[in-house]
Amino acid sequence: MKHRMAKQMVLFSVIGTMVAMGFMASSIIFPLPLLLVLAMSIGQGIAIFALALFLLAVALDLQSSGVAYIPADETAPEAVAEAGPEAPPAPPAT
Amino acid sequence: MLGTAVLHLQSTEQLLKAIALACAALSVAIGAWYLIRRPHLHRVTKTLLLLGLGVFPLIVSLTGNIASFEYTLTRPFCGSCHVMGPYLRDAEDPKSNSLAAMHSRNHKFGENSCYTCHADYQMFGAITTKMNGMRHLFKYVTEYASTGPDGQGGPPIHLYKPFKSEACMQCHSMTAKKYLEQHADQVEQMRSGDVACIDCHNEVHPLALSRRATARREER
Repeated sequence: MKHRMAKQMVLFSVIGTMVAMGFMASSIIFPLPLLLVLAMSIGQGIAIFALALFLLAVALDLQSSGVAYIPADETAPEAVAEAGPEAPPAPPAT
Repeated sequence: MLGTAVLHLQSTEQLLKAIALACAALSVAIGAWYLIRRPHLHRVTKTLLLLGLGVFPLIVSLTGNIASFEYTLTRPFCGSCHVMGPYLRDAEDPKSNSLAAMHSRNHKFGENSCYTCHADYQMFGAITTKMNGMRHLFKYVTEYASTGPDGQGGPPIHLYKPFKSEACMQCHSMTAKKYLEQHADQVEQMRSGDVACIDCHNEVHPLALSRRATARREER
């Protein structure tokens, strides 16, 4: 993972998920009314936020590595040859 | 060993709880592995994290919610607030002749006797009942949390709205011959809603109510 922020986001996401799992597991083991409500609101909220953070981190990582913007099919030599003379010239290799 | 454990699960609720706890354990294990090892985020690591942060928590959430909702229908859950102590003890007393106790002894009500009689029976009855449950919890935390045993010192417990006969009529038909014979004078009033079942059959929670009344008298 190249994006520095993405690594921290994954770290927070992992910690958040572990906290949320603690909430949910404790509500299953000790099903008290207050604990159930906390698990179903705060616990699930943290879990959803943690998952969103992880997905955002993966998206940032893909963006920083450029994978998200260069589909493999379009850059393959076979695809360029099949496109014919009307096809736009391939970008210069860097 | 796992097979033996699965065989010991006696209900769907227990199975769901077991699945939820297993998935929570897997999720925490993956999280702990990542925190301890701090591996590079290659494709394999990302896939494992997707399982640990996405798939397993989702399963925990789904199964845990269903299992928890099932548990909230049971009498032990209703009795887990200390103010419900007298009601719970009366309902579980095999010698009690109160309506609550007699209905709790009926295997068709079983562990869900509180919910069966106190749930709303409209289209969105389950939702409105759960919303009322949230209100109960708010009241409990704000008004009864620091009260004495069985809620002594707190405000008297009362229903938010009059108990409707629809709950009784889920089992007791108002068109049965025996019912019509016994209630010939009240049938029209019952059907119009002017008279409710518990207006006459009012020994619902007598032990609990008498204890609360005694407690209130002692306070004065």
